[in-house]
Amino acid sequence: MAKKTYDLLFKLLLIGDSGVGKTCLLFRFSDDAFNTTFISTIGIDFKIKTVELGGKKIKLQIWDTAGQERFHTITTSYYRGAMGIMLVYDITNGKSFENISKWLRNIDEHANEDVEKMILGNKCDMEDKRQVPKDRGTSIAQEHGIPFLETSAKANINVDKGFMELAQAILNKTPGRDTEPKGVDIHKQETGKGKCC
Amino acid sequence: MAAYKARLEQFKDALSKSELDIKKIRELSFQGCPFESGYRSICWKILLEHLPLKRDEWPKHLQRQRATYKQFINELIIIPGEKAYLGALADGKLEDHPLNPNPDSQWSVQFKDNDMLMQIDKDCRRLCPDLSFFQSATKFPCNEIIHAKSNVETLRKRVEHTVLKSETVGRNRLGITNMQSTRRRTSDEYALLPDGQEAHWEVVERILFIYAKLNPGLNYVQGMNEILGPIYYTFASDPDPECKEYAEADSFFCFTNLMAEIRDHFIKTLDDSDCGIGYSMTRLMEEIHIRDPCLSHRMTEQDLKPQYFAFRWITLMLSQEFPLPDVLRIWDSLFADKNRFDFLITVCCSMLILLRNEILSNDFPSNMKLLQNFPYTTVEVIKVISKAVEMLHR
Ligand SMILES: Nc1nc2c(ncn2[C@@H]2O[C@H](COP(=O)(O)OP(=O)(O)OP(=O)(O)O)[C@@H](O)[C@H]2O)c(=O)[nH]1
Ligand SMILES: [Mg+2]
Repeated sequence: MAKKTYDLLFKLLLIGDSGVGKTCLLFRFSDDAFNTTFISTIGIDFKIKTVELGGKKIKLQIWDTAGQERFHTITTSYYRGAMGIMLVYDITNGKSFENISKWLRNIDEHANEDVEKMILGNKCDMEDKRQVPKDRGTSIAQEHGIPFLETSAKANINVDKGFMELAQAILNKTPGRDTEPKGVDIHKQETGKGKCC
Repeated sequence: MAAYKARLEQFKDALSKSELDIKKIRELSFQGCPFESGYRSICWKILLEHLPLKRDEWPKHLQRQRATYKQFINELIIIPGEKAYLGALADGKLEDHPLNPNPDSQWSVQFKDNDMLMQIDKDCRRLCPDLSFFQSATKFPCNEIIHAKSNVETLRKRVEHTVLKSETVGRNRLGITNMQSTRRRTSDEYALLPDGQEAHWEVVERILFIYAKLNPGLNYVQGMNEILGPIYYTFASDPDPECKEYAEADSFFCFTNLMAEIRDHFIKTLDDSDCGIGYSMTRLMEEIHIRDPCLSHRMTEQDLKPQYFAFRWITLMLSQEFPLPDVLRIWDSLFADKNRFDFLITVCCSMLILLRNEILSNDFPSNMKLLQNFPYTTVEVIKVISKAVEMLHR
């Protein structure tokens, strides 16, 4: 327990409309599997994955949020601590794409100014049901200066790449990234076994 | 075994009185309702005030309620469904009705609540995926709907048409209008039972839709499906044929009554008031603070906020934390609680205290994992409840 198994800790957040595949993307990334039968997320979910980047062990703490409007008061409180935000829409659902600007406004309102962002157009395995052309995704991303990828949690397309690029972007601007991290929120009581008050 | 037989006798006794003793029924149900002889369904209906305390009023009362529900189906699904069809007919838009690429076509104008229906639909298809029950056909589909004339836009058709329509619109935007391929039935994801049959999840969908239409201020909120699911399951798998047959109407009323008590948790604007979910979470943490200051201290220190786990625990009354049979057992006690739903907070408190040693020694991520995936195989539901009961007396 006392031995730290990683060098840096990054907190990521997944947001986007209900049903776009946030939970599936996270499951693909953390467990390398796809499951069609996820129940909708209520409130907030949490997963950890340790990756290697630039010779460093990086622990990704990923928060998966509920998409429905009702949960926004609960979920927006997580924006503040996030270092990277993954904004997801569904290429087979035009509405989820239109809502991207609403989610971007949410980020502006609630997240740290320097938070790293990334837009994912998920379910790109369903070409025959596509409603959102790829270039519309590209252009909204360019407009806001945010990286963009089309992904598929089902067919495992670009999922690792998306998460790794987001982590890389955070790493790039992490101060003192060659030594012990500073300004990085490492959870304080990582040790302290059974310490009582 | 003998003890169990004696318990069954007690239920039989209590439930056969012509004037029911609610205190007695609460007391018995609190210890867990037997599935045998349909006692659980009956007790829940009494505790959720769907059944009156005078037994001889039951037949008339049920008859009236079930007729009312039928009327809801008629007014909220069948009649609007016919109107939509007629509207499309009058507009001369019927030819291409299901695939009408014009977003202003009459039936879509008629149905401003399509978004809500699509959300309910998504959630109901995914209801209790580990259980085959909700995917299987009910023996008691809604006759008015499965035998509805072809000119009625049923919920099933509405969902299909909405999916197809949005595909068509999407295509048009792309400049590719390939009607041939949109006419094809949608993929396996949208596979349905053949016409004339309904899956249990479709019944749940209809109940939620009607509830949302009748409660426009609340609408549909994700998670309501997880509250209705166990109630409907209990009634629809009851040993008594009559209970099964009217599972839809009866669970609608029980759900409505239950929601009247817990709906504040589903209302965003009440999150920070002293009746919303925020307040309930605070109460839980205060309770922990009083009962186990050390644990409370640790949780604060580690920033293990109740929002991370108790939001779901409380809003869904633990229905996602335990397997269904355990959920039913917990709900026996919750429904029997006369200070509803104080006992829910006590049960949540007991869950945390039973995990205290692990929480005290774990790091933050391990604790998050632990609390988001309650280890019900090692900390069994029986233990959780008896600890909670013990806490009631101290
Ligand atoms: N074809 C395809 N389907 C997907 C993909 N990702 C997710 N899905 C399906 O989309 C549905 C919703 O996925 P979820 O991951 O639960 O969606 P979510 O964004 O977490 O939804 P909420 O928790 O309600 O906010 C599921 O039925 C998945 O099977 C994908 O890449 N391809
Ligand atoms: Mg989800």
